[in-house]
Amino acid sequence: MTRKKVKLAFITNDSARKATFKKRKKGLMKKVSELSTLCGIDTCAIIYSPYESQPEVWPDTRGVHRVLAQFKRMPEMEQSKKMVNQESFIRQRIAKASEQLKKQHKENREKEITQVMYQCLTGKGLENLMMADLNDLGWLLDQNLKEIYKRIDELKKTAPPPPPQQHVAPPPPRPPPEAPQVTTGNLHLLQEQKPAVGLTMDAMQRPQWFTDWMNNPSDHQQMNSFGHGDEMMLSFTDNNHNTMWSNAFFP
Amino acid sequence: MGRQKIKLAKIEIKNHLQVTFSKRRSGLFKKASELCTLCGVEIAIIVFSPAGKVFSFGNPNVESIIDRFFDLNPSVNPSSTAFHLLDAHRISSIRDLNMQLSQILNEIEVQRKRGEALEKMRKNSQIQNWWEAPVNELVFHDLEQLRDAMEELKKNVSKQMFEVTNPTTFFDSNNVGVFDQYETKPTQAFVNSSAAAALSNNFGYCHGFF
Repeated sequence: MTRKKVKLAFITNDSARKATFKKRKKGLMKKVSELSTLCGIDTCAIIYSPYESQPEVWPDTRGVHRVLAQFKRMPEMEQSKKMVNQESFIRQRIAKASEQLKKQHKENREKEITQVMYQCLTGKGLENLMMADLNDLGWLLDQNLKEIYKRIDELKKTAPPPPPQQHVAPPPPRPPPEAPQVTTGNLHLLQEQKPAVGLTMDAMQRPQWFTDWMNNPSDHQQMNSFGHGDEMMLSFTDNNHNTMWSNAFFP
Repeated sequence: MGRQKIKLAKIEIKNHLQVTFSKRRSGLFKKASELCTLCGVEIAIIVFSPAGKVFSFGNPNVESIIDRFFDLNPSVNPSSTAFHLLDAHRISSIRDLNMQLSQILNEIEVQRKRGEALEKMRKNSQIQNWWEAPVNELVFHDLEQLRDAMEELKKNVSKQMFEVTNPTTFFDSNNVGVFDQYETKPTQAFVNSSAAAALSNNFGYCHGFF
């Protein structure tokens, strides 16, 4: 089997073309035969070439006549319904491939915006995002929130939520916990900075609640520094990247 | 792609048979099409499906090959000039279509690799960041925190969307629009932009690219 990628064009070299024809014709006939056997169906192939005066056929002349007769017996509409020539066949393949590409783009887009969302949750600003990105980000947040609310409800139903470990000690007096733990009670939503006149909204600076959140040493692992985050961040200022997002929609 | 050795006998499981038929028929036509392009030969293949439908592939078309086989229209002279012109036109369309198909297939491969890379990054970052875990794996406490963080971000996204469409509109601490001080105000159409609507609705996101 050849390992070279063959260019899909007419082979101008006569002997190369003849050699390719012999090989591929043999392979094609084999495939026709396999299809017939594996699936138990009737089929025939007719090949005209400049190298033979008579067409080469599968299975044999009689078999071809039989299949052709069977074909002709079918109503015209049935005959033509799945009939293709090279042009229509390639168009069909193009249509399928385009659908596949669209799907792949959509999946990749969702992955990208998910990444953006996590970066923004950990403090990256929204300034460099285009409208389309903001739109998709908002949509994704909605989707995620839907899931979260659903899950929260489920948990509330099955078991009342245990108080976070850092809460106030139970009635019998106990020594206070060693290190001052940040509790849920300390989390507060972003205090909106009062913008001075003339400033655009700069509320995307890393908010206090977030630093608390990140330092929360409950069950999860700690982030040591924002160095971690930086490695993973997309470069928002990469213009090509932004352009790609805004043009990501394929007709 | 199946690398298993196939037994050359009729497939017993009906479902497998259908799937095999579909894939192999498609592959067969693809090979036939390639043979036509590479070697310039004329072909017809007729295939009956397990359900009794008939598929056919023909170059230049199924009918002319069948007629030729039955030796009808022997007057068709393959070397006439008109024949060559039609041929040339058809061949050039097919070449363009093949190129178009190649481009799309290449792009699919590029995007597929990109998807793999993104997936890998995601997995890596999930190891380090608890909040990236699937929702079902989070404990109640973490869920609430994540919810709050996301709600906050959502608000900020709405704000930013408004900012992007109304870049020169800003408010002093009395919430008086700067434009109130001037004769001219932004036009109604501008003020009623969809971003403003999104800001007030909070849920006005369209699907965008999804």
